[in-house]
Amino acid sequence: MEFKQVVGNRRTIRFFDPNRPVEPEKIQVMLEAANRASRAVNADFAKAIVCYRDELTDEVREALKTPTTTVQIDLAPVTIFWYGDTTFVNGAQDRLKELVDLGALPVTHGWTHPYVDDLVYPQVLEPLSKDALATTWAVSVEAGLAIAQAMLAGVDEGLGVGLHAFNAASAKDVLKVPDHWVPMWILLVGYPAEDPKGGGQRPRRPLSQSFYRGQYGTAWTEIPEVTERLKREGMIQEPMPADASARMQEIKELADRFGLPL
Amino acid sequence: MTRQDIESQASVKQWVAGSVLGHDPAEVRERKLRILADFCAKVEMAPDELVAFCILRKKTTGERFLSVKRREAINNWLDEFAAEQGWTGKEAVVNANVVRSFLIHNGVLIQGRVWRG
Repeated sequence: MEFKQVVGNRRTIRFFDPNRPVEPEKIQVMLEAANRASRAVNADFAKAIVCYRDELTDEVREALKTPTTTVQIDLAPVTIFWYGDTTFVNGAQDRLKELVDLGALPVTHGWTHPYVDDLVYPQVLEPLSKDALATTWAVSVEAGLAIAQAMLAGVDEGLGVGLHAFNAASAKDVLKVPDHWVPMWILLVGYPAEDPKGGGQRPRRPLSQSFYRGQYGTAWTEIPEVTERLKREGMIQEPMPADASARMQEIKELADRFGLPL
Repeated sequence: MTRQDIESQASVKQWVAGSVLGHDPAEVRERKLRILADFCAKVEMAPDELVAFCILRKKTTGERFLSVKRREAINNWLDEFAAEQGWTGKEAVVNANVVRSFLIHNGVLIQGRVWRG
């Protein structure tokens, strides 16, 4: 699938086909996509544990639920628990110097071994690693990049995906994750039982509401030809219609199928 | 409280107005109301009381919150109720979720089982 189509096709799927298995090969594609993500100091910020639904007992799944993560966790055949590793600074000097030696961090931009040892590590990375808020920020951003790539790779593989909160304390008991992993999201994966397009793209505000040119307050001006091209290429798709009757009918049919409350 | 009495309860009116119940065929609507009435009889609470049972207030702030323990209690009662009614399989899931639908439409997020058969 073309990249723009993948971005355009992604929805948060909440009704998965519970009995259609997800191929481990496709999960590996998702993990490798995460592994290829951009990352600071070439660190492995993102950590994940892949669980097939039936490896988790009913009681465990119940304990993982939150006010916003509900029956979808019972329907999804696969749950990927994403964490961020707060020990990212360990080994950072060696990894940076490896990148210097490979030419990924070029001397033209000031990168040398002494620069890493005398400035970057002691003056930037070490203080950052000792600042809890800054560490949480860095880990969250970096893990998020990896998670997004895994999610889009799943869409590219024809899977449905959805990111959700989870009860981290319950998960820690079951998954035995180390203390230095901080919980991010769970990524539910499976084949959609609902329309993979979810009845249309979710409402989005125009670019001008969030993106600026030069300084805050000067809204980005959309180039209409680009907008039109993105519609043709699938990144921008039909939004969910204001008349939600078709979607509501679909939800009713899914509720009937799965015995869900309506 | 009889099957007829429960329709006068504010929580039941809200359920009927906000859910598919208001558009269900008469026999389906009657079956769902009967399930709720029978469950309420089992737990000896009127529908409004059942909703109130799930919502507590923090002693310090008075802020409303949904009680996890009380929702667990309701789920346990629903399991008992389904067994007493002789429901099994999908019927047990669907009928217990009728009561959960009533609670959800009254602001009580309560999760039950999913039929994956």
